[in-house]
Amino acid sequence: MEYDVVIGIEIHCELNTNSKMFSSSPTTFGKLANSCVNEIDLAHPGTLPCVNKGAVEQAIKACTALHLEIDPVVKFDRKNYYYSDLPKGFQITQQFFPIGKEGHIEIETSLGKKKIRINRIHMEEDTAKQFHLTEGTLIDFNRAGTPLIEIVSEPDMTNGEEAAAYVEALRQTLYYLGVSDVKMEEGSMRCDVNISLMPKGSTVYGVKNEIKNLNSISNVQKAIDYEIERQAKILDEGGIIEQATRRFDEATKSTILMRLKEGNVDYKFFPEPNIVPIRLEDAWIKSIQANLPELPEQRRARYQRDYQLSAYDINVFLANKELAEIYEEVMKTCKNAKLACNWMITDVLAWLGKNNVQIPDLKMKPEDLATMVNMIENGDISGKQAKEVFEDVMLGKNPNQIVEEKGLKQVSDTSMLESLINEVLDEQPQSIEDYRNGKDRAVGFLVGQVMKKSKGQANPAMTNKMIVEELNKRIK
Amino acid sequence: MTEIKSKEYLRHLAHQCMFDCSDDELDEIQEEFMILEKQMELLNQVDTEGVEPMVYPFEMETTFLRMDEVVNVLSEEEALANAAKTKNGHILVPKVVR
Amino acid sequence: MIEKLRNDVAHAKENVQQAIDLAHKIQPKINAVVTFVDPSEQLAHLDEVKNGLMAGVPIALKDNVNTKGIRTTASSKILDNYVPVYNAHIVDLLKKQGAIYIAKASMDELAMGGSNLTAYTGPVANPWDTTRMSGGSSGGSAALVASGVVPFAIGSDTGDSVRKPAAFCGVVGVKPTYGRISRYGIIPYASSLDHVGYFTRNVKDACIGLEVLAGRDDRDMTSSNKEVPAFSSLLNASLKGKKIGIIKNVTDAIKNEATSKAFNELITKMKNEGAEIQEIEFDNALLRAILPTYYMIANCEATANHSNLDGIRFGEQEMGDSTEEVMINSRTKGFGLQVRKRFITGSYGLFVENQEKLFRKAQRVRRLIVEAMQKALQDVDCLIAPASSTIAPKIKGEKIDELMDEYLVAENFMVMGNFSGYPSMTLPMGFDQGCPLGVNITCKAFDEETMFNLGAGIENCTGLHDLVAEVE
Ligand SMILES: [Mg+2]
Ligand SMILES: [Zn+2]
Repeated sequence: MEYDVVIGIEIHCELNTNSKMFSSSPTTFGKLANSCVNEIDLAHPGTLPCVNKGAVEQAIKACTALHLEIDPVVKFDRKNYYYSDLPKGFQITQQFFPIGKEGHIEIETSLGKKKIRINRIHMEEDTAKQFHLTEGTLIDFNRAGTPLIEIVSEPDMTNGEEAAAYVEALRQTLYYLGVSDVKMEEGSMRCDVNISLMPKGSTVYGVKNEIKNLNSISNVQKAIDYEIERQAKILDEGGIIEQATRRFDEATKSTILMRLKEGNVDYKFFPEPNIVPIRLEDAWIKSIQANLPELPEQRRARYQRDYQLSAYDINVFLANKELAEIYEEVMKTCKNAKLACNWMITDVLAWLGKNNVQIPDLKMKPEDLATMVNMIENGDISGKQAKEVFEDVMLGKNPNQIVEEKGLKQVSDTSMLESLINEVLDEQPQSIEDYRNGKDRAVGFLVGQVMKKSKGQANPAMTNKMIVEELNKRIK
Repeated sequence: MTEIKSKEYLRHLAHQCMFDCSDDELDEIQEEFMILEKQMELLNQVDTEGVEPMVYPFEMETTFLRMDEVVNVLSEEEALANAAKTKNGHILVPKVVR
Repeated sequence: MIEKLRNDVAHAKENVQQAIDLAHKIQPKINAVVTFVDPSEQLAHLDEVKNGLMAGVPIALKDNVNTKGIRTTASSKILDNYVPVYNAHIVDLLKKQGAIYIAKASMDELAMGGSNLTAYTGPVANPWDTTRMSGGSSGGSAALVASGVVPFAIGSDTGDSVRKPAAFCGVVGVKPTYGRISRYGIIPYASSLDHVGYFTRNVKDACIGLEVLAGRDDRDMTSSNKEVPAFSSLLNASLKGKKIGIIKNVTDAIKNEATSKAFNELITKMKNEGAEIQEIEFDNALLRAILPTYYMIANCEATANHSNLDGIRFGEQEMGDSTEEVMINSRTKGFGLQVRKRFITGSYGLFVENQEKLFRKAQRVRRLIVEAMQKALQDVDCLIAPASSTIAPKIKGEKIDELMDEYLVAENFMVMGNFSGYPSMTLPMGFDQGCPLGVNITCKAFDEETMFNLGAGIENCTGLHDLVAEVE
């Protein structure tokens, strides 16, 4: 049987702020356990929440970039449940009045462009981190209270590719906004997928399964592809889908049942009495919106216009913002956009991988790479020589100095080349004869001889051109 | 009308609040629930048609938001000072099962 | 009293010691203290704050006020070993003004009660008659002020938890406007009803108290930016032309003759001093709904507020094979039955299938009650009524009928002050069987100035101030 697949995605994103959602302790990570907390994060008795302006600002940026309507009155609610990673026994969230509603983002897949609608974005706080050992569970409250936004899509996606494209598009947008570091592997962006199947053409949604905590974009696609097959098989065999929460198992590339949903959990939501409604000043919202950083789509258009790069090249840069930013620096003094682009997305990326260096730790100065590319463009060095220069440029060396030290400068001086060429032609009368008889390969031989005489420093392109000219002169 | 809540139901309510009650305690709670339900009937004698729930004593909005600055951090000793069991700077609890 | 001690700051050490000695002496009889505080460190730093409004004045704190490094239990077993790592905002304010806190005072467990019979450390007795209750939930604080140990003590008031024990103990009990005093660091009962309040033995001291405690605190988003007047220097006891509204529903419901007599005498005197008296009658159905409205709102908020008490990060932890078991065992052993009952009610009221007809309904009734109060206060400077229908009940008393108006209206009307957030205070108005009776006034939002002025006028009429009970 054929099925329509319905996919909706909920994404939790940790916001880039100095302090927590409701307390003034730091959000810094990788610190010693329980060293970034105060009495509020630990929910000591008597503590009260106080809303972080920075977190609200980040949420406004996200809402704006994703075209959501912003509610100028911020309200919070309590979501009640007991769990050891939830210090207060409730999470402060925005159940009834999310900060943003009804937005969308555009994705592009093999089927073309598509708008995915976003139902809502709301602000909330993260839980503590737990480590399960055999002797017990260790709790680190550093993450507790970290500002989050939850982005809830409409069920607009129909396959794994679309879902992956949606997550990637969101990831890029949020990253460009500076709203979050969106590192899925590290958990600063977490993805839950809801998926159900229904007979093709039906309007009644099937029973959905939720796949929790997908930690990479490729896993989003793999998990969905697997889940579609799994559910289709059950339905084909006349079985019924049970509503459940599942997780993706990397090793077997399959989804595994975590728990069945027995009815809905009652979180007993009610308005948070300790936070009075907050009126966001219109001028403040407007100034945030007016100063939004460039978004991926805007950057795409600019790269097309200013650099005339191919769609493929632009996609590579969009997916790697830091690399793109170096490229832009390079392009301030570089003449050949395409050539510079090739060096960036092949050689630079390969070098980083090979040497296991992260972009922020890179010693290479963009203007040096630009100089190197310009040298190639000007014929000052050959492509082969450039490979040698490149290695040192990546270590922070200046290309002029490298060329000087290594004696790599190409001979492009015409009078010097002319005398070398005449010397070689005088020595090789047979080659002139061959050329007269239409044997083109004679030119290659003669270029080789010139290169040899110049100890490799002759500019090959110029040499080639000048030899042909000289030959034509002599056979006349 | 006042309906008598079964002890099983009241025990279920207690578990929802993460505690237990003895049989004697449940008897007392049962009694209390009957009074409570009568008192709740007093609520229903007030017509609240078209009246919004009042969440805060004063419903003035604020424009105050806390500046995103780090002001108050506990030392690790302070953070763990009141915990019953700790290990390697973490709070230790029996294995969490979910 | 406060001024006298402040002016005697040179003898602060002796004065503080005297207070501690008296507290120890009467402790076996009234049981008002949970934890005695060694004052030596505070005294050592007194020099830095010797010009403060409460310099060298011994005070007591209700045991739901967090004190860094000093055990704070809220009179609950689950917090028996809890040592806060931070100070409540008001503790910092009091220290800045030189106050020396000598005791953490007993309360109903987690402030849930009006009797002070539910404290983990046992009931608090009334200093005027130790067979009677102090009232609650701030009973320990009221008793320490009434017995002359301290001239000032912090309480908290969610229903009438300062004003009721003040009435029973013959002292002044103040619940200022919601938002006047930061709640940061006060172990809550119900966030939208909780007020920090306090006890003194006269109205002048009550003015000083609010000057010390009031003001915006950014850590409490519900705290107010409103300016704090210099209440004590503005104090004016004249009742001439003051408009006083008697809550007729309350006086009608009171059957106790001594109470009615004392109240009527006070009203006559106030009239003689030039006050204009009128009776105000509320829709009685509305007032009969006060208690269930309160019970629902308070307990729904409370059950969530106290979900943090699980024995994991602090507090008494009971063993268990899983974390869930640890939580359940800690909470089962850690909470008294009163508290568990209220949590169950609150949780029940929040269930999705009940929330609209219970919690939300109560919040709607709350609005109607507040609107009725607002309307009533348009024509008068204050609403007045006896703070309780009787003197403090016996500790081992008989059960009262919780569905009669004498209980539903007369014993619970002060909760209106918590619904509205309006300032409200209780003062002594007479005696019955050797025990004090109190009168309550409630004024417009943020108009504590009028409330204190009226209080001073009442004080003049009754002549009852600076009362001290000799504990026998
Ligand atoms: Mg969700
Ligand atoms: Zn969420």
